[in-house]
Amino acid sequence: MAELLLDANIRGWVFLPIVVITFLVGVLRHYISLLIGGSQKKADIQQVQDSQALLRARLLRENGKYLTRSAFQMRRYYFNDEEVGYFLTQKRTAPASNPMTDPSMMTEMLKGNLTNVLPMIVIGGWINWMFSGFVTTKVPFPLTLRFKPMLQRGIELLSLDPAWVSSASWYFLNVFGLRSIYALVLGENNAADQSRQFQDQMSGAAVQMPVDPKAAFKAEWEALEIYQHQSALEGLAAEMIE
Amino acid sequence: MELTKQSSWNKARDILKDWRDNNQRRSVEVIEIWENSLASKIHKLGDDRFVVLEQVSVAALDCNRLDVAASCIHSLIKEFPNSLRVRTLLVMKLEAQQRYEEALEHLETIIKIDETNTAARKRKICILKAKNKIPEAIKELTEYLKKFMTDQETWQELCDLYLSEGDYAKAVFCMEELFLHHPHNHLLHQRYADILYTQGGLENIELAISHYLMAINLNEKNIRALYGLALSCHQVLTSAKCSAAKKKEISKQMMWVSKHLARQYEEQQGNTETLTELMSALQVS
Repeated sequence: MAELLLDANIRGWVFLPIVVITFLVGVLRHYISLLIGGSQKKADIQQVQDSQALLRARLLRENGKYLTRSAFQMRRYYFNDEEVGYFLTQKRTAPASNPMTDPSMMTEMLKGNLTNVLPMIVIGGWINWMFSGFVTTKVPFPLTLRFKPMLQRGIELLSLDPAWVSSASWYFLNVFGLRSIYALVLGENNAADQSRQFQDQMSGAAVQMPVDPKAAFKAEWEALEIYQHQSALEGLAAEMIE
Repeated sequence: MELTKQSSWNKARDILKDWRDNNQRRSVEVIEIWENSLASKIHKLGDDRFVVLEQVSVAALDCNRLDVAASCIHSLIKEFPNSLRVRTLLVMKLEAQQRYEEALEHLETIIKIDETNTAARKRKICILKAKNKIPEAIKELTEYLKKFMTDQETWQELCDLYLSEGDYAKAVFCMEELFLHHPHNHLLHQRYADILYTQGGLENIELAISHYLMAINLNEKNIRALYGLALSCHQVLTSAKCSAAKKKEISKQMMWVSKHLARQYEEQQGNTETLTELMSALQVS
């Protein structure tokens, strides 16, 4: 097959503009989210206490083997005793399960949508409409046919080598690939970092929601209850001296 | 420090960042760098300048350079008039001037605004400690730890305070809490064993032995742990309550540790004469 030759105008009017537009939109997003998202969410003290208690109990299970038996029992008693144990006496109500009932949660969600999803759709749609149907560049290595839907969005050509990248796909590559450039220009932990937002979404919205402490306590209580204390220090002397 | 004097602001910034990231205080040097190269170039640092200002303020308070601290904190207040973090700095300055009542007032309001502000709660305890009200400080610390029970810094501090009060049993508890977090830190095991050894009693010393062994296992160059082990073994051997079988085992450990110590000294200096002297001094105790 003859080698494809791209018009220099495609470079000047499609390839570079997409890079520049994506970059500028990212910078803009960063500043907009700074403007409207200023306030940080404050943690509830009880929530902090609960999560720290859970963490401590987990550490006790992981590293309890370095304690003496009595020291371990003492700590387990603190968490698990039927009358005074932390996990049994602290009564927590489950958090409101419906985010719609919590107005502060609603505004949070709205802000998130405003800065993340909306520009994505608008700019993506616009790029798709404006620069559709161009072959913009070629990756310098051969690829299999499976990559065609990823790299050649908007161009349905069976005979085209999968290494060629269409304009729409080039936009998406830019959206995800500019991350380190943003870190360079805007400093670390910037809001323009969309890939991070995406990772958040991947791990599921459940992580963002306050977990139900009651259930977590129950699980941790159970795990601690069945934990068999076995000292790691016994036999250490013999092992080292031999 | 000649080197830092000549270095450009760029390098100074990197050094300060390095110390910040690694949690090194090095207050005197920070002030030196600040005065020599950064103070006039602060506007060049961009958004980094606020953290640098904070770092310098703390360092200045450490060195009792109230003038430097005041100017740094002042420029931070101008930038963030409502920030609690800056307010905590202001409190630290008041503390440095020993205006404790005012500092406490500020801290109370900070805690009222943000209940989870650990820095403010810790400052309150610091004030108690500065006034040498150790029992009160201990009480506050335990209250604090009930809420933030995985704060290792605080456990460490509580341990120190208990030690200064001579309450070894409670200090032991704090150390246990610390090595639950970092079971592979040999210094924690060594310190734990030190406290147990100081506490005395056959049972404690036997436990100390196993933790000294753990520390040596994690880092065989820990000379203090090696000596600790030797001392503890010696204690057990001279104790009347110890059974014969146990004594045999312990004396084996004693042999092992003295051999180990000898080897460490040989590697370091090439002779073991000083060590033999030291060991014979130990035997007397």
